[in-house]
Amino acid sequence: MMRKSFDGLAVKELVEAGLTWLRTNQQTVNALNVFPVPDGDTGTNMLLTMTSAYNEISNLGHHNAGQMVAAVAQGALMGARGNSGVILSQLWRGFARALHGKEVIDASALAAAFAEARDTAYKGVVRPVEGTILTVSKDIATEAQKAAQETDDPIEVLRRCVRAADESVQRTPEFLPVLKQASVVDSGGKGLFFILEGMLRYLDGESLESPLISVQPLSAMMLENAMEDVEEGQDWEVVVDFRPGKEFELPTFYSRLEQIGTSIQVGEGEGIYRMHIHTPLEKRYEPIDYIMQIGTITKVAMENLLAQMEDIEGRAETSIELANVEPGQIAVVTVSPGSGISRIFASLGVAAIVSGGQTMNPSTKDILDAFENLPTDKIIILPNNKNIILAANQAKEVTVKQVHVVPSRNVPQGLAAMLHLNPDGDLEKVAEKMTKAIDNVVTGEITVATRTVEIDGVNVKEGQVIALLNGKLAVSSDSLEHACLEFLEKANAGKYELVTLFYGEDLKNLEANRIADLVRERYPALEVEVQEGGQPHYQFIISIE
Amino acid sequence: MKIGLVTDSPADLPLDLAENYGIEVIPAILIIEGQEYIDGVDITREQFYARLPAMRRHPTTAAPSPLDFAARYQKLLANGCEHIISIHTAEKLTSLPNFARNAARDFNGRVTVLESGSLTMGTGFQVLAAAEAIEQGLGLKSVLEKIHSTRQRVRVAAALDTMDYLRRSGRVPAAITTIGGLLSIKPVVELREGAVKPLTAARTTRQATSALLEFLLNLGPLERLAILHTNAEARAREFLDLLLQSKNRRNIPPEIRLLNVTSLIGAHLGPNGLGFAAVKKELI
Repeated sequence: MMRKSFDGLAVKELVEAGLTWLRTNQQTVNALNVFPVPDGDTGTNMLLTMTSAYNEISNLGHHNAGQMVAAVAQGALMGARGNSGVILSQLWRGFARALHGKEVIDASALAAAFAEARDTAYKGVVRPVEGTILTVSKDIATEAQKAAQETDDPIEVLRRCVRAADESVQRTPEFLPVLKQASVVDSGGKGLFFILEGMLRYLDGESLESPLISVQPLSAMMLENAMEDVEEGQDWEVVVDFRPGKEFELPTFYSRLEQIGTSIQVGEGEGIYRMHIHTPLEKRYEPIDYIMQIGTITKVAMENLLAQMEDIEGRAETSIELANVEPGQIAVVTVSPGSGISRIFASLGVAAIVSGGQTMNPSTKDILDAFENLPTDKIIILPNNKNIILAANQAKEVTVKQVHVVPSRNVPQGLAAMLHLNPDGDLEKVAEKMTKAIDNVVTGEITVATRTVEIDGVNVKEGQVIALLNGKLAVSSDSLEHACLEFLEKANAGKYELVTLFYGEDLKNLEANRIADLVRERYPALEVEVQEGGQPHYQFIISIE
Repeated sequence: MKIGLVTDSPADLPLDLAENYGIEVIPAILIIEGQEYIDGVDITREQFYARLPAMRRHPTTAAPSPLDFAARYQKLLANGCEHIISIHTAEKLTSLPNFARNAARDFNGRVTVLESGSLTMGTGFQVLAAAEAIEQGLGLKSVLEKIHSTRQRVRVAAALDTMDYLRRSGRVPAAITTIGGLLSIKPVVELREGAVKPLTAARTTRQATSALLEFLLNLGPLERLAILHTNAEARAREFLDLLLQSKNRRNIPPEIRLLNVTSLIGAHLGPNGLGFAAVKKELI
């Protein structure tokens, strides 16, 4: 039977299908992380954005397609996280604008909506980069236009769009050398593809629950993400490295694991397989028993995720005294990745803190709520992360308050800006001063590489300590202290006056101070300050001034 | 009419100028670890700053006795002055103006006491303007107008090396001193009408110096300027060099004094601080 159009209820089903399929393939999208640093996972960010979009319509029963899509766009807007999430929400916004007042979506309306989605998304980004989700949205829109001239079947249009999206995603490395270097495709584009493909699979009556079985390169598996979602009851993370025996068969392996747990990932590299799964307490040994039957186990790692999460939450609980802002004064909202950093921001007069950072990007709504809860209309936000600036801008668009985004890309930049806050000053002038101050500081970020890659001319092996200089990979080393010292040399630290080391939650104060002493020894003229940062994943955030 | 001038030692008027114009300078009393010192007599500024970091109790000041004020007034009148103008450090910071007023009561309106609203050369420049006007032979009313006009145009700012002394002194609202309770911060402040107002904060000496320089250059054309420091002459000279190299140097008056600032203020600011006192040019 040919369907000539989608009504509101059909839209709802399609959005749910897109969401479900994205969730099923979330890890595949996450694994497309180019940079070897633990940063906001695209798959997770897009999924959270789509979840918020669907929650907005889950109780709606509109037959009017335009109204339903408008609600989707609203939900996506509020839930947008990370750059890809924000762009996805922009796509929905354009899509909804084109469908405003439409009872149903036919083939030509669908094409028009894809076109408006593309235009809105491009306009939402200051400097659009090709080879990203934007390019994929453009190729989808072009194909939709063509298809709508040849058929009046919206499903056929969607089918051709899915194909176009797939091909477009495959082409992304041609635009972005970093993708090519890392031999991956663009993650945001891939996420968009999964959403549309999920809709099509639903219309075709195909399953949305089990992922297409895929084996990733071993290095692409993220295994140390303590903040990953823990499904209820699935408290244990089990990782097994093994050499498969003769009878090993991937589909059987997968379906057996699905009976045991969730969040299944399988990686392969040089004949070794790595299996990752979340299981309930009582089943935690089952994957090991099972894999022993089909191969030779070389390594097993087991972690209690819930206990880890509680640990992290417990640490965040120490109270922080924020600045009291009077109506009419300027309040600063800052995004902070760790409790120590929050305390320092508070001591500099920040009025509200949104938790988040490298691996947990706050949503537009999280930021918006912080704005709304302040007793003043004049607000400055410090995103302190390049992946949060867009969401901050989006929150600014939504609120009725006067907001200036001071686009700090990391914590040291945010702190440098804070020194120029004058709560009683003119909002515009203060924001301008703070923005100027961002460039006063050189930033270092020290972390452990999550994959093997060559980037910015630096060779990195998974597990090595790496240092980023102003966001660019600068140093890789086998030890933390060498990485720090080499980084300071690359940054020309001798020319400066002050180095502040913000140590992360994985590092002990003693160890941080030991490294600070090494720095003092190497640079006797430099002042070296050690501060507890409490940020996850990054052993040190360093500011040089 | 012959007019005499009296001021106090925290006004930082250079000795040669005081002598030249016959200005009477009343020394403040410093109380260091329970002992009294006469500012500039019992203890030099260099000695004071060298001891400051090791002082267990924050040094305080005491006003000289009212008799000292009266004695100075008497002396000037005996020398033929018909009227006396007594200009003092801001009353929000010291009790000197009050003591002066009390002493002046016994002189039947022949002593006019003025409170400068400022400190160090911010007061000193008002005294200097008065001295120059008197030398030009202006009458009492015109001299008072000159002082008032200078008072309006005077600006004093400082870049402190640390917040610690300001915090210890308890002279500034907690809202200012608690800034950067965790990070080491070098505040840049303006002192106006006896109150400390934060301009910005810096994390390094260089940042602080350039913020102070920017503030100074943004004041526009200047009539008078003194570079002040708390035992940091090298830092003050460096600042002077930066100033003379800046493209706005034509705004700067030809004569610039470098001064080791009064201990009374220095106690609150701490050593290695940099600052300036300036008088903006009158808009014609």
